[in-house]
Amino acid sequence: MAITFEHVSYTYQAGTPMATSAVSDVSFSVPDHSYLAVIGHTGSGKSTLIQQLNALLKPTSGQITVDNFTITPKTTNADLKPLRQHVGMVFQFPESQLFEETVRQDIAFGPRNFGMGEADANKLADAMLQTVGLDARYAERSPFELSGGQMRRVAIAGVLAMRPKVLILDEPTAGLDPQGRQEMMALFDRLHREQGLSIVLVTHQMEDVAQYAEQVAVMHAGQLVKFGTPHEVFSDADWLRANQLDMPRAAQFAQRLAKRGVTWQQLPLTADQLADQLAARWPREGDAHV
Amino acid sequence: MANIIEVKHLTYRYQENDQRPALDDVSFDVHAGEWLAIVGHNGSGKSTLAKSLDGLLPFTTGEVAVAGIKLTPATVWQVREKIGMIFQNPDNQFVGATVADDVAFGLENRQIPRDEMLPRVQAAIEQVGMAEFAHREPSSLSGGQKQRVALAGIIAIAPDVLILDEATSMLDPQGRRDMLDLVRQLRVEKQLTVISITHDIDEAAGADRVLVVDDGQLVDEADPATIFAQGERLIELGLDLPFTAKLKAALRRRGIETPATYQTAAEMEEWLWQSLSNT
Repeated sequence: MAITFEHVSYTYQAGTPMATSAVSDVSFSVPDHSYLAVIGHTGSGKSTLIQQLNALLKPTSGQITVDNFTITPKTTNADLKPLRQHVGMVFQFPESQLFEETVRQDIAFGPRNFGMGEADANKLADAMLQTVGLDARYAERSPFELSGGQMRRVAIAGVLAMRPKVLILDEPTAGLDPQGRQEMMALFDRLHREQGLSIVLVTHQMEDVAQYAEQVAVMHAGQLVKFGTPHEVFSDADWLRANQLDMPRAAQFAQRLAKRGVTWQQLPLTADQLADQLAARWPREGDAHV
Repeated sequence: MANIIEVKHLTYRYQENDQRPALDDVSFDVHAGEWLAIVGHNGSGKSTLAKSLDGLLPFTTGEVAVAGIKLTPATVWQVREKIGMIFQNPDNQFVGATVADDVAFGLENRQIPRDEMLPRVQAAIEQVGMAEFAHREPSSLSGGQKQRVALAGIIAIAPDVLILDEATSMLDPQGRRDMLDLVRQLRVEKQLTVISITHDIDEAAGADRVLVVDDGQLVDEADPATIFAQGERLIELGLDLPFTAKLKAALRRRGIETPATYQTAAEMEEWLWQSLSNT
């Protein structure tokens, strides 16, 4: 689903003396089947921005278009039901929202709520369980007996069971160990590539931005201060430093070599991109030694 | 170096009839003044281990001694005087209505007189750089600021040992760096022994020694460079690969031979530069 923000502002407690502006005048658009990363410091407006995508927060001014749905300050909740079915939201620490007696019931809750029969919803739940990498044995267990990483997978399966076309992820790997993080990011990448899901990822992990994102939105103090491909965003070292944003490790490393005189065709952002360019110029055995 | 903590043959089961103990015959020492990192994947038993040291879990068999005091139900409060712990989620450890109240909590518990308590609270809050927030509600702070307040609460009590149980894992990269810098500084000033339970490769890299826990057992113990030289196995141990190890693996996949030992970024940069210039 294509996403467009047009002059979107959001003010908490608007019209009261407590009014605080969290997002101001943000405009950008991404095409269908895209992978957008939203980065920026804590408090920069990232979460406020993405919560407007399924109208959990409605803009104070401006408008958001998700495919053919339009969200304006006047949109009513009744208008939003079809939109919310298509935009799946995975909050930070989604495992805290599990509540059913069994894993299967928890995953099936959303589809049941939207009118699906029990047998179909259960079948769907079992399929989603498999998608997130848990085998069928888990279906009958209480979600509260699972490890933190497994609980998070169940919560994500519950969102996927709504068959969303856009998946919004707010720091989905926070608190997981590195292996769990890697597996989770690989799952989202697979959903993006194989099922064409649009992904919007809020993250502090620049390595993930470099590896997976197609577009990057940089938020600062409620404003969109940069928008572009990872290469466009990460190539400007001075700008990143001024904004206290980290570069991916590979780019940092490549820049240190650049200071010694190594030239890069395009700044490498991942270990693989760096290794590709190094291998291309690596002296091979049999080369003449001068 | 004298040992501040000695652990001998520690075994713990969450339930008596658990087949696999959460801790299985674990023995190790912590030297006074060192920074010890304990690593392991989720569920490996590393947090159970940390809690056992503080008497938060009644272990079934084995022995723990902290600063020469053997941990028993009778001595648990004495032992807890010696240890300060910071947990993963800063929201789960606040009791006070303001930052200052929260920092004072531990001292009030110890019945420190008010005229002695107030300057200690003030000093602790200043040391973590939170003076301007002293009268704020803890809930209005960022994650990194909350962990600083938790740290202030601990240094106010002046323990010998600080245990960080994934204390930086919920912070953003800047918050994480600031927190670790602060711990490093306090460790020197207060002569603290630091035990950090972590998945973070940078946090582990800063330690003097690394213990690896897997399946409730201690499976490895070495300095960070030796641990990091294990390459891909680090992932199984619950750590990420250092960037240099990732780059080496990527180069090897492209048919380039790389040194087998762990290299810091600076060492690897030098090696790459030499290799590239060698034409």
